[in-house]
Amino acid sequence: MQIFFILGIPLLLSLATLLIRRQKILGIINCIGYLLVLFCGATLLGKTFLSKSTISFFNFIYMDTLSTFFIFVTSIVSFVVALYSIGYIKKDVEQGVISRRKARIYYLLFNLFCCSMFLVPAVNNLGILWVAVEMTTLISAFLVGFYNTKKSVEAAWKYIIICSVGIIFALLGTILFSYAFSISGLEKSLNWSSMVPVAHILDKNILKIAFIFILVGYGTKAGLAPMHTWLPDAHSQAIAPISALLSGVLLKTAIYAILRFGIIIIHGVGFGYFSNLMILFGAISLIISSGFILVQKDLKRLLAYSSIEHIGIIAIGFGIGAPLAIMGALLHVFNHAITKSLMFFGAGNIVSVYKKHNMNAIRGVIKAMPFTGVTVLLGVFAITGFCPFSLFISELMILTGAFTSGSYLVAGLLLLSLAIIFGAFIYHFGKMLFGNLPKEMIVTKEPLSGKFVFSFLLFLILIPGIGLIFINKDLLWIAQNLFQR
Amino acid sequence: MQAIILFGVLVLTYLMFVAKRMPVLIRSFRCQSFFLFLVTSIMAFDEHQLDLYIVAALLFVIKVLLIPYLLYRIMKKMRVSGDIGLFVNVQLSLLCALGLAYLAWIFSARLVAPSSQAQISILTIAFFAVLAGLFLMISRMSALAQIIGLLVMENGLFLLACAVSGGMPFFVEIAIFFDVFVSVVIMGFFVYRINKLFTHIDVNKLSNLKG
Repeated sequence: MQIFFILGIPLLLSLATLLIRRQKILGIINCIGYLLVLFCGATLLGKTFLSKSTISFFNFIYMDTLSTFFIFVTSIVSFVVALYSIGYIKKDVEQGVISRRKARIYYLLFNLFCCSMFLVPAVNNLGILWVAVEMTTLISAFLVGFYNTKKSVEAAWKYIIICSVGIIFALLGTILFSYAFSISGLEKSLNWSSMVPVAHILDKNILKIAFIFILVGYGTKAGLAPMHTWLPDAHSQAIAPISALLSGVLLKTAIYAILRFGIIIIHGVGFGYFSNLMILFGAISLIISSGFILVQKDLKRLLAYSSIEHIGIIAIGFGIGAPLAIMGALLHVFNHAITKSLMFFGAGNIVSVYKKHNMNAIRGVIKAMPFTGVTVLLGVFAITGFCPFSLFISELMILTGAFTSGSYLVAGLLLLSLAIIFGAFIYHFGKMLFGNLPKEMIVTKEPLSGKFVFSFLLFLILIPGIGLIFINKDLLWIAQNLFQR
Repeated sequence: MQAIILFGVLVLTYLMFVAKRMPVLIRSFRCQSFFLFLVTSIMAFDEHQLDLYIVAALLFVIKVLLIPYLLYRIMKKMRVSGDIGLFVNVQLSLLCALGLAYLAWIFSARLVAPSSQAQISILTIAFFAVLAGLFLMISRMSALAQIIGLLVMENGLFLLACAVSGGMPFFVEIAIFFDVFVSVVIMGFFVYRINKLFTHIDVNKLSNLKG
């Protein structure tokens, strides 16, 4: 039942943007709506998690723990983004960057975008899954090109073209999956729940070819290198709250799609094939992103490349496939979504005060904005996997999984790139956060809703990390169940 | 009958490789979609399925009428020159087309049992259309040509779905049509914006963002 609320509330809110004219009220209503969605998402996760059952409606919606987990992550991030948007959009309207009418368009697109992202993990039919992923691209293209400057329109164009081509390959893969299904003499269907039980009798060669197309297709959307070229452009040019949404959850919906097909592959072809491909793409992503992070000058592009790195880690985690590593990868999805939202919100505040993206020109953030500065500093430690934060736990789980299952090379590569990225982040952000203020800077107060968002996110980053040190053994069964359904 | 239509699709795909101006490209896309419409209606007629009739009708309305009309309109409204802007000249494009067709043939021959010649040829044409679309997107500079490339890829996939599993499930097909239409509208919108901001639609010159 909750799923109808989760899909319905964003739709209702997008209708509300057509009726309500005051953007402040709109922001508050949005917030309340997404709080409700978050609540529904949490209960949904609890329901599937505790009863170990699946929820399905009319052959159209099918949810197990994997889907509800992704829905939950999406609902958390969309809630904090709704909260952060209030202050951000208000400031943009006051400064005359966007008009009041455009502020309403922002809320309309934001709601539609969230709705399409909630739809991806909920549907059963792999064709509809494809349509939903494509819808996320089409709607968010407007949000990437929102400011209508030369750079942002260019980024939006690249985004829409590269992702559409990528996703066409995913459709090709989906068709080949249904081909494998139909030549084994079964009734025509694209439903995931009817494909998995018969996966072992499907034609192995076709499945293998189809999965490569799927991985290239959805991998483009997920930002796996070398298909990542749209990602730094789009993430750096989008509005700050949307960057958080793009990086935090949009990439994960594509990862979810890969996992859904991956489960069929694991049942049909065996684990080795899935594992090798995921580790290969993950490793390429890690290597490429760590190189670009080292030499980066633009703040938001730096964060975008960091997303590529984390997507690589997640892919490697699923690829290793030991229960501990899978658990780590799932947690990493959650942790990265939260931490990256925090970082993009911080970057949004910094950019809106300093009016530039170039990291060499930004100095003394802690003096200019003490609250944002300190949270960003904590965020830097969190995102590079420093000790008390939850990303550390998930990375440790993936590493332990890699070592125990004997993939020493992968573990070594992971450690090496993590070390490089840690150094690069500390170097870049150290220069930005500390130091003297530029002379013409005027220090202003920060909005309250922003502070609340940051505290909430910091809480989410810290608590699971500390909590999981003690209880992570009990959670392992999820991972064990996940791929053996 | 079906063989002749498929041959038509193949010829039109070749035509796209040699097209130098936008109207030619749009026209050949329209004809290609029309041939796909014929294939679907014949299939619907053979199998007496209402679903397939509806899919065929949608194909006709969206891909033969609406999308080409939209593209023509965008072109007229922006008053850009109709040149596609070739990275690869016509002769070389044609050679590439031959190579891609051969690749598509090898790939589809591996995919299905060698006994079913008819299926292999359908698959070859479908994969060839997909590759042709990809080639158009990479080797042409105009943003409008990239949209056409995407649509040609989609056409190829439609043919592929028809060939391998008798079409996708009905409501998936509808959703995909809707999706394609919306994506063309949105891309058209962005082309319009690019033209307004940059005063050209040459994708090759969009290079502000690097690193």
